[in-house]
Amino acid sequence: MIRPRVHILAHSAAAFAFPLLFVLAPLVAFLTYSFWRVENNQLIADFTLANYLEFFRNEIYPRVFVGTLKLATQVMAIGLLLGYPVAYFIWRRRGRWRYSLLLVSVVPLFMSYIIKLYAMRSILGLNGFLNKALVALGLLDAPSLAFLYNQRAVLITMAVVYLPFAILPVFLSLERIPLGLIQASADLGARPGQSFRHVVLPLSLPGTIVGSLFVFILAMGDFFTPQMVGGTVGFTYGRVIQSQFGMGFNWPLGSALAVILLIVVLAVIGVAGAVGRRSRV
Amino acid sequence: MSRAERMTDWVLGGMTALVLFALYAPALVVALFSVFEVKQQKVDFSSFTLAWYGRLIHNADILAALRNSLTVAVAAVALSLVLGLVIAFYANDPRNRGRRFLELLVYLPFLLPPIITGLSLVIFFREVGIDRSLVTVTIGHVAFLLALTYRLLMTRLRVLSPSMVEASYDLGANGWQTFRHVLFPHMRSAVVAAGLLACTLSLDETLITFFLFSNDMTLPIRLWAMMRVGFTPEINALVTLILGVTFLLALLVSRRIELRGGG
Repeated sequence: MIRPRVHILAHSAAAFAFPLLFVLAPLVAFLTYSFWRVENNQLIADFTLANYLEFFRNEIYPRVFVGTLKLATQVMAIGLLLGYPVAYFIWRRRGRWRYSLLLVSVVPLFMSYIIKLYAMRSILGLNGFLNKALVALGLLDAPSLAFLYNQRAVLITMAVVYLPFAILPVFLSLERIPLGLIQASADLGARPGQSFRHVVLPLSLPGTIVGSLFVFILAMGDFFTPQMVGGTVGFTYGRVIQSQFGMGFNWPLGSALAVILLIVVLAVIGVAGAVGRRSRV
Repeated sequence: MSRAERMTDWVLGGMTALVLFALYAPALVVALFSVFEVKQQKVDFSSFTLAWYGRLIHNADILAALRNSLTVAVAAVALSLVLGLVIAFYANDPRNRGRRFLELLVYLPFLLPPIITGLSLVIFFREVGIDRSLVTVTIGHVAFLLALTYRLLMTRLRVLSPSMVEASYDLGANGWQTFRHVLFPHMRSAVVAAGLLACTLSLDETLITFFLFSNDMTLPIRLWAMMRVGFTPEINALVTLILGVTFLLALLVSRRIELRGGG
């Protein structure tokens, strides 16, 4: 089949226009801004590394950054430790149960994010359901203020909000494992625990990595969760960046801080990709 | 099944139940608040009322936000479907150039933290002199939804046999006719599933929208603004409705994907 040149050109233009204009160009603009500066509330097109130096000069930024890295890692760990067993359990069901359970665990992905934050705030509060339950179970003597407006509240809320992102990819990669492999492993005398360790776990690694990445990246950049449940001490790096675009009005500094986030996220994706490739060999 | 296996099943099952309970707890709390009165932070179970649902229609701010959200969703879903199709057809043809690069650009806003997509768009719009409005919000949504629609449509396109297209050309059809009468009918269910999925994500999008809205707030942004100054119970009613609708939409999507196979 011979395609007229005009058609090829038109199709290329239609395919590339939006991604070039609204993905690539904005990223270039954002990188450029990180070298600009602000003087008397005016943006000045400059080429300065001052914004990046500010990150290291002002001890707050590295501290919040490391704190957020830790937080995102914890959220990811919770996502994995709870998400993997849930995905595994669902995968082991047969017939109708399997897809009903899967659906039920995926639907929370589409429940309003802002509303979840609002609901979590009332669940974690002094008179919230969590305190009531803990007191009723005898685990606490009196309702505690310890669950809201601090770093722990941010952790719990992010874990609830981002957990479904871990379940789905793990399930999808479990589902891709041919059942014959597991039967073969059993025929060769492996006990269920051995089959899991040597067959199922390695083969489900790609989905596990993807799920962990999703949770980690979303937790790293989130700025609504810390704002809603974190109070004044639950500060995260995403919130620091966002504040430069609001009241702070220092877009170049905000951009530089975001570039640092971007570099770390890309590095994490790169490392995860390498781990995934090595495990496949 | 051995005893050890049964034990594992019970433990995992219990864990699954607890996790699902935690995932749905926020929704349950909101639904409770929407029909029962809360006095001094205690739910009064004797006070069942649907009055807040009735009052919703009189809250002009919320209705305006809902209208804005729907407008953005319809526009963003339509655009991301059309672009998703165009890009999928482009990337599916091995003779075309720059397919890997194009794919990377399409996936980026989905892979990067939303805050980066949002702030790079707001910087870009400022530099080219476009004021923030629902149009910029829509563009932000398309940038993020495109990864999803492209992915779903491409998955479907890949399983369609190339010989179908060749047969169509051999019979004298042109490119558009082949698309319209041969390929599209096979992709319709993928288009519907992608559209529904994109719609629920657009209605909920908050982190990118935050950087791109001006006076016209979308629903999540309006809710966020209201939460900062305190909350009226009709919002619980609205949210319960939204959760119900999303649940139905999700059910619909899963039905479609399951019945038609693939997805």
